[in-house]
Amino acid sequence: MRKTFSFAALALIMAVLLFACKGDKEKKLDYTTSLSFKPGDEAKIVEAFLSLKDSTSILFAQGIYKFENLSAAQLKHILIQGEGFDKTILDFSSQTTGGEGIRITNIKDFSIDGMTIRDSKGDLIKINNSRDVKVTNLHAVWKNADSTSGGYAIYPVMCKNVLVENCYVEGSSDAGIYVGQTDSAIVRNCKGAKNVAGCEIENTTNAEVYNNEFYNNTAGFLVFDLPGLSQRGGHVKVHDNNFHDNNNRNFAKAGSFGTSWGVGNAPPGSGVVILAASNIEIYNNRIINNNTAPVILASGFAVDEKAAEKINDHYFPISKNISIHGNTIEMGSTFPEPTKEHHIGKLLVAAESKLNALDPARKNKRIPFIMYDGFSTNILNGGKAINPDSLCINQPGDNVFVNADFLNIANPGKWHPETNIAPFICK
Amino acid sequence: MKRVNYFLLLIICLTAISAAVMQSCKTKSTQTGTQTSASFQFKEKLSDYNFFRNRLKDLDPNPGVVHYEISTTLFSDYAVKDRYVVLPKGTVAKYTAEGPLDFPDSTFIIKNFAYTNTAHQKIMIETRILFKSPVDKTWKVMAYLWNKEQTDAVKHITGAQLPITLLDDEGNKISTNYLVPNTNDCKRCHIKNDIIAPIGPKARNLNLILPGQTENQLAQWTANGLLTGTPALDSVQQLPNWKDKAHFSLDQRARAYLDVNCAHCHTKGGDATNTGLFLEYEQTGRDHIGIMKEPVSAGNGAGGLNYDIIPGDAAHSILAYRMNSSTPGTAMPEMARTIIHQEGVRLIKEWINQMPPEKK
Repeated sequence: MRKTFSFAALALIMAVLLFACKGDKEKKLDYTTSLSFKPGDEAKIVEAFLSLKDSTSILFAQGIYKFENLSAAQLKHILIQGEGFDKTILDFSSQTTGGEGIRITNIKDFSIDGMTIRDSKGDLIKINNSRDVKVTNLHAVWKNADSTSGGYAIYPVMCKNVLVENCYVEGSSDAGIYVGQTDSAIVRNCKGAKNVAGCEIENTTNAEVYNNEFYNNTAGFLVFDLPGLSQRGGHVKVHDNNFHDNNNRNFAKAGSFGTSWGVGNAPPGSGVVILAASNIEIYNNRIINNNTAPVILASGFAVDEKAAEKINDHYFPISKNISIHGNTIEMGSTFPEPTKEHHIGKLLVAAESKLNALDPARKNKRIPFIMYDGFSTNILNGGKAINPDSLCINQPGDNVFVNADFLNIANPGKWHPETNIAPFICK
Repeated sequence: MKRVNYFLLLIICLTAISAAVMQSCKTKSTQTGTQTSASFQFKEKLSDYNFFRNRLKDLDPNPGVVHYEISTTLFSDYAVKDRYVVLPKGTVAKYTAEGPLDFPDSTFIIKNFAYTNTAHQKIMIETRILFKSPVDKTWKVMAYLWNKEQTDAVKHITGAQLPITLLDDEGNKISTNYLVPNTNDCKRCHIKNDIIAPIGPKARNLNLILPGQTENQLAQWTANGLLTGTPALDSVQQLPNWKDKAHFSLDQRARAYLDVNCAHCHTKGGDATNTGLFLEYEQTGRDHIGIMKEPVSAGNGAGGLNYDIIPGDAAHSILAYRMNSSTPGTAMPEMARTIIHQEGVRLIKEWINQMPPEKK
């Protein structure tokens, strides 16, 4: 008995000792070189970043730091560590040159943790062509949520193995968290508000997005494939998120109502937008009070009439193998005002009126939860299959689905939105 | 008694473990900064290299330091540039049909940046050096900043903003903050497929007759033993001089300009690979050149416009819009340019405007 106790004590003390070396404050000891800085050291920090060696941790003690920008390139095993989002703040508001606040290029095993980065002219942190990337406990924010903000707050692109966790993004004029042309990414336990899109996964494979909350954006979550890029996306699971109250105007373009590419296409009031994507599963999410379209399922044709010319190994415009099930979806009683000025939003407003006009029994029902643009591979190959692109929907309720027949939307005589969900119910 | 033994054992173990743990912590933290001793170090001052004789700012090359020029040059705020290459004695560069020539280890490539001040004097700003390290066979970058006295330039890694008033090519006065790149900025343009490489000295860029000379530059290099493997000159590609309307078409000149000013990043494997906009002179894909191509991640840099190039409509083409801006986040190229290259913008607008409009 006593023996057991002694060994238990020994084990415990050993653990404590090991923790003392590896623990929170001493995580830097995993790195060959440990640098630490305090506010006022900015010039030294810039120089240190330009002279970094492999396996270096850089600790930013609490306080506010002012930078034009910071960059690190061609390294292995680098950690940028703050003392917490409310303690360590990197401010880029006085930037006169360059795009990004922090620019990371070609680093293997890169981590940034525990700080706020704010108010750059371009993206706040861009991580390009890197592997084993961890972005944790990072707040990336612009104080003004308008077109003066940079595009992306947290922007890993062309990376492999990315984790974005416990982060908060605000004010991006494109997407708060944007994972582009990446293989294997996890976005979890993050929040985002007042961005055009809370989060976007683009041309990215093997991504999982869960336990996040995106609210008060133009659109909550987007999964897109665009043509002409380095890879096709797909195999994205999106579950147990809370996408709510995304009804803000689309400020992706200065002084107007949105560009007609990328995130500019997201109408105010979108919960989830799936565009030209494949092998996507959306389940167990709360999609509440996104008052234009809780879920938009669209093809490249919805935004580009020449999408077919761009088909190649890396791009297919029609969304395929899309599974939407078990989500809790609710909508408010009217469209948000800004959607009436948006080029896609207007179409949805028209679709709701048309549906209610075609079927008086609908009375004044809202547009159904899932808005499908109706472009299937049948239009490419003249086929007649009723569900050629393997859509699978399993959502309760009677006003779940509309094929908005975008193909004929410009031709009022032929335009016939269709609410029959039967062909698309999961088998 | 037994109890005491266990206690003793515990204490001994703990002491040993603590010592071991402390030691391992210590070992790690004392390794700091000892890993570079074997690698190449740039010298402190430009004069330390002995590249030039007499007054340094005259850039009068010593024997073995070879002045060269390229057919179309990158615009960097109307900077006046001088280029030199230094091959180690007895070595020779190998011809390559694509990409930079294959330079031997320990080659230096030197590029000096100056501006013309309002008194029409040449004022030295910075000298950039690329060095191909024999240790790991990779190119290294460094910038040297000229002193006020214009007597020497000193190693400078952090970049700088220098307020200057310069004369442009037409003699107009322009005040700006000239940007000296930091060493990571250098890499942004010079990295292709994760490897730092020279940009200018490609065979097709060097394939010209310098002003006041009669022999082609590549032929001179070959004759002087600097270059080997060059095929017959008429089979070597030539990048057009974007200013030479007499010999090259508008399309050739525009594409040469875009190649030199954009394609170090806008190429597969370059810093802008993610954009899918590829502007190499050899590029033939309409979408990659930007024709009716939607941007990917330009954000507000696109100015609310929808396509990189709309044939016949430069006013609504993002390419021309971004070249015609000096605002960070919009201006392209992102680096090395704080003022608008009016002549370049004119060329690209003219090129776009003469493209036949797309059929609906």
